Parts: sequence; C-alpha cells; structure tokens
Amino acid sequence: MSTERLRAAAEATRFQKAWFQDVAERARAGEPIAIVNADAPHEILRALDIPYVVTQWWSSIVAAKRMSAAALERVAAQGLPDFSLQYDAIPLGEQDLPSDDRPWGGLPQPAFAIAERSGDVTQKIFEQWGERDGTETFLLSRTGADPVPPRWWELVPYRWEEAFGSDRIDLLQDEIGELVAWLEERTGRTLDHARLRRILELGNEQAGWNKKTRDAIAAARPTPIAVNDSMPAVMVPQWHRGSEWAVGAARSLYEEVVERIDSGQAVCADERVRLMWVGRGLWSDLDMYRRFQDEFGAVFVWSMYLAIAADGYARHGDDAMRTLAARFVGITDQLYVPPWSSEWYVKEALSHGVDGVVHLVADDTPGAGLITEALEEQGIPVLEIRANNADQRSSGAARIPERIADFLRTRVSARR
Amino acid sequence: MTTRRHIGMIGADAPRQIVLAAGAVPVRLHGAWHGEVSRDASELLGVSDAVALRLLDELLGGAHDGLDGLVVCNDSAANLRLFYVLRVLAGRGRVRFPITLLDAPRGLGAPRERFVARQYARLAAFCSSLTGEPVDAHSLASAATRERALGEALARLRARRVGGECTGSAALAAYAAAATRAPEDAVAFIDAACTAPAADAAPIVVTGSSHPDHTVYDAIEATGLVVRAEDHDAGDASWIGEAADGSSLEEVCASLAREHARRPPLAARSRSRERAAALAAVVSRVDARGVLALARDLDDAPAWDLAAQRTAMSDVGLPLEERVRIAPESAARDASEAAIALRARIVKEPA
Repeated sequence: MSTERLRAAAEATRFQKAWFQDVAERARAGEPIAIVNADAPHEILRALDIPYVVTQWWSSIVAAKRMSAAALERVAAQGLPDFSLQYDAIPLGEQDLPSDDRPWGGLPQPAFAIAERSGDVTQKIFEQWGERDGTETFLLSRTGADPVPPRWWELVPYRWEEAFGSDRIDLLQDEIGELVAWLEERTGRTLDHARLRRILELGNEQAGWNKKTRDAIAAARPTPIAVNDSMPAVMVPQWHRGSEWAVGAARSLYEEVVERIDSGQAVCADERVRLMWVGRGLWSDLDMYRRFQDEFGAVFVWSMYLAIAADGYARHGDDAMRTLAARFVGITDQLYVPPWSSEWYVKEALSHGVDGVVHLVADDTPGAGLITEALEEQGIPVLEIRANNADQRSSGAARIPERIADFLRTRVSARR
Repeated sequence: MTTRRHIGMIGADAPRQIVLAAGAVPVRLHGAWHGEVSRDASELLGVSDAVALRLLDELLGGAHDGLDGLVVCNDSAANLRLFYVLRVLAGRGRVRFPITLLDAPRGLGAPRERFVARQYARLAAFCSSLTGEPVDAHSLASAATRERALGEALARLRARRVGGECTGSAALAAYAAAATRAPEDAVAFIDAACTAPAADAAPIVVTGSSHPDHTVYDAIEATGLVVRAEDHDAGDASWIGEAADGSSLEEVCASLAREHARRPPLAARSRSRERAAALAAVVSRVDARGVLALARDLDDAPAWDLAAQRTAMSDVGLPLEERVRIAPESAARDASEAAIALRARIVKEPA
C-alpha cells in the first residue's frame, strides 16, 4: 500500500516552478508576458511565443502560500472590492504585496491581460490590470449557453457546431481574429497557422491521455491516487496545453495510475466511502482532502480537474481558428450551466461509484441547486457548502472539515 | 391600440420595437427591492441578487401567468442564471409559457454587431411564433412610430426633472409604466408625472444597482434630496423610446445592433472607465450637486465601478456617497442614511 506522492504531481510541480522562474526572469528582462483567465484561448499565445500565466493557477499558488488574505487587503487598499470574485482578484493584489511576501518572487508586470468576460466582474478585474502602467487589456465576449443539447461530452469533440450553435462560435472566432491582430501589432510577430494546428493536435492528444486516466480511476477499487495529487498532475500540464511537455506529462500520469492499479496501491487501504468533490479546489488547505481516511475510510476519488480535462477540451476540425473558438466557447457552460452541468456530474458520479458528494458552491456559479438535486435524485447524498475556495477567510468561516465529518457521520454512514 | 398578447422581458437589452412589431406588448419584469424569498427559489438559484430571486418567486408563484412568452436578457450574471433555471423548470412544466434567451454582448465592432443583429432576428421569430403576426418592414415601421412617441414623452419627463417639476420617485414610476404598457397607454401616464420636489431639495444622481421599484428613491427623497437622473436601466439608462428604420427586418436588426452598442454603459457588462465617463456626463447634463451610489449585496459589478467613479467625481468636485453590499431588508434604511450623509456634504460644500 502506498500513500507516497504521485511522481507525476511532483514532476509537474517541479517543472512549473522552474518554468515560472524562467518566465519571470525573461519578463524582468523585458520580454512581454500575459496574464489570462482559464477560458481565454491560450493556444494563440503559445503559437505566438508569448508566455502566459493563468489567473486561477496563480491565485491557487498565492492561496497555497496562505497569502490570499494579504493580497485581498491590497485589492481593498486600491479602493476595490475584496469580497467579490476573489479567485480572479487575488493576483491583482499580489502585485502590490511587499516583495518578501510574494510567492515565488512574485508575478512580474504582464504586458497583456486577456480574459473572456465571464459574469459581471471578471472583465472589471482585467480592466484594472490595464490601468497599471505597462499592461494592456483585451476582452473577449462571453455568450450564454443556448442551445444545450443533451450529453455534451459526446458532442463536443467533433459535433461542436451542434453543441454550441454556429452564431456563438462565429462571434468568438471573429474575436480571436481580433486578438491575433492586436497581439501581432504589439509584438511584431505573425501567427503561424500551421503551428497553431499542431498546438491544437497536441491539446487533443493530451485530452486523450486524460480520458484514459479518468476512466482507469473510475473503474479502480480501491482508489490509486489522491485528488490533491491529481490536481497539480493534471492542471499544470493543462496550462501548458498544446506543448510536447504537456502531452508527455499527461501520458506519464496515465502510466503511473495504471502501474498503481496493477500493483494494488491505494490511497487508503481500508477504503469504505468514495467521495466526489464538486467545485473548485480548496487550494488553501489541500491536505483536507485526505483528512477523512483514517476515521471514516473516506477517500475523495473525483475532482473536476481531471474529469474536465478528459471530457472538456478535445476539439477536432479542419479550420484551426474555428476549432479553437469551439474549444473555448463553452468551457464554462460544460462545468456550470444546467442542465449540462447536472447531467455531467451525475454521469461522473455514477461512473466513479461515489457514495457522497461535497459540493462547494461559489457565488459566481449558476445552477448549483440543480446539480445537488440531480445527484440526490440518484440516491447520492450531497453536502452543499457555500464558500470561496481561494479566500481562506471565507473557507475558514465555512468550517469545511467539520461539516464534512458531520456529513460522513450522519448522512453517508447512515446510507451504507 | 389594444393587443391580446403580452411578452415578458427580464433585463434591458431587448428592443421593444421588435416585440411591438410582432403585435405584442413588451412587459418588463422588474422584481422588487423588498419581500420574502422562498426557500425553493433560494435553492434553485443559489447565491444571487435578491431581485432575481424575487423574480423567480413571482414567476413560479403565477404572478405573471398572463404572459404569452418571456425573453430573458443576458445582461447580468443574475439574469443569465435566472434563464438557466427557468429553462430547466420550463422543461418540467413549472413555467407556463415559452422562454428565450436574448444575448447582446456589449462593445463596438462588426463581430459583436453581427451577433447581436442575429439575436434580434431570432427575437423577432420568437415573438412572431407567439402572436402569429409577421415582423416585417411594414410592422417595424408602425412599431417605430409608436415607440418614438413614447420616447418623446420620456424626453419631456427628463426635461421636467431637470426643471424641478418632477421627483425621481415619480419619474421612476413613469419609466416603469413605459416599460410595462403599450406606448399609447404609457404616454398619458408619463405626461402626468409631475410631482414637484421641495424647492430646497438638492439635486443628485443615483448610480449603482438598478432600482426595481421606487421604494429606495422614496427614502432618498424624504431626506431633502431629489434624484434628478440616474445611470441604471430602470431609469434614464433604460432602452425605451428608441427605434430604427430599414427596408427589411435584417436592416432594422442591424441598425438596432448598432444602437445597442452605443447605449449608456450599464454596470454588469461595461468597463468601469466607461461607466465613470458616462456618470460624469450625466451629472454635468442635469447640474447635479452630488452622487449617491447604492449597490445591493451580490450585485458586485457596481462596487467594482466605484473606484473609477470616485476619481471622476473628485475631478469635477462633486461629493459621492456610497453604500455597497446592501442587504434587502435594510435597503431603505441604508439609502436614507447615505442620503443624509450626502446631503450634509452638499450643504458643507455648496455649489
């Protein structure tokens, strides 16, 4: 039996830190870098050789270093809200922390801030980046999910026009074209479409390995890897999507998972309860995911990070720009828009054989109640917790570990 | 003119001209500042602006069952979330009429205008499917005439506000009438809105969250202020009274899409810099002596605009009093306290 850290997670973390130091050094030497949100078309930046840092990843690092509260204080000191969309706002405050307090030496001033206008506030946070000397902002439109044909995970790889509707894809494709022109004008570089096509192909290969990994874990009893290991092992390569390194990392993860399954390794030797974590990762307390193994034999077997990496990103098509638009037009919809979200979480809960679900509901995620309802209709008890995942003030106040323990004692245990 | 069809609208992005052309009355559903929210609505919609929760309650409680259809605009996260929930509930038979999403992203430029124009054509098809009447060049021209008459009445109303002949509360009620009645019915109501404020009432502009009803305006104006203008979509920034010309549905939709791109920036979908510039223009137009910014809890976009708005008002030497995260149960009290504080600052800093 093993509780050793996953090699793929350790390697991803090591790679990411070295990569960040290199990027930071280049940025301080004057090279342009970008800060982007997770739903922006990163592949364009990769094709133009512009290093990019993803807001949510950088927030998770700041949170993991327990600096999110201090960063949010700096947001408030600028006269901006510290109570709103903290996951996106934390990097803005991190810029103003004393240099000794900045994780990994701090994120250098980006030249470009690029986001899609999720919700009401993301655009305003990215606009604030553009108010800083040396940074310019580019915003992409975010359209609503309409239509929503059933079983999106079967449609999106090839039949994405049907899944998302051509009008939405037309708009994003045109706006990605505007983004390319904007970046070309500022960098003097030219987008190589053949390179972009190759980047998209590599992204599809990566998604293919993630799908095999997800399916292997779903079928395995007991669970071979901990979710707090799978999160970095999947998400770090996700932020390098479209690179040879990322494909190799996804493949290594799969091979390690299979190796563990074949040798009978388990996160918890006495696995009695299988749990699903719906919602964003609790970056300020990743150890929490393993806190219930000894007392309850309870193992978190699922988080959205591997599952969406398996189902959400693959897009095949002849026109690179349109295919790229199809990859990003509905990423958020897949995770959060009912009935798509609820159908998908039920599918994943059943395939992983979970006994209970902890559902972390953030202020900006729509339709959370319908996800909970759909899971409970399948006889799966759900604990809903309303808190912000990256703001330790909020997650601390929500008493998450205590509530999960109570949930396991009263609802999940009672069910078995 | 009377019509038997009524199409509900949640949000501010739907061109009324298209609904009128289809032979229906566009009825804006505003919700309310105050009132209980059911557990059902809270569980379905989750953490959301209380106004959206009340709208859901109204719809599920049958308060709008007389509607023939509903258009929900993707003009705020709360409204989009409401649409998603209503779509699921409609599939379960809990909503009695067809629902459609109207998606009109903000911003200038051909890609967005093309997308919005297609959305307007889709809106026309939705409305026609409910009324059985075609939306064509002829019906659009007739609707344009009717809608512009409403716009002229609203222009007269705005002039009366600036002239000190109409309170903000009465004006807001007039806007609500304009948003919920046939133009011919609304014009008379609007022209009757002439409740004069006290002679010494200090004129202000209200920014922040939209006001679904006039209760908070009543509280503000009871303190010796008068709301002479606002930049939210239930008042001066509502899209009422404007129309487009064209020889076909496609031409009119394209023209309306261009008009949409030029509308006043609303909090949820515009940049803070644009919002601050628009606020500066409004205070100048109406010669206001202060600004009151009120943002409901979980309606966070206005709170993000405040930094830029503070700077803009400081530049023009006007006091801005602000309250954010206003809880529904304390809206009138918070607004009143903020208004008293603003009034004191205005007195101390005479124009």
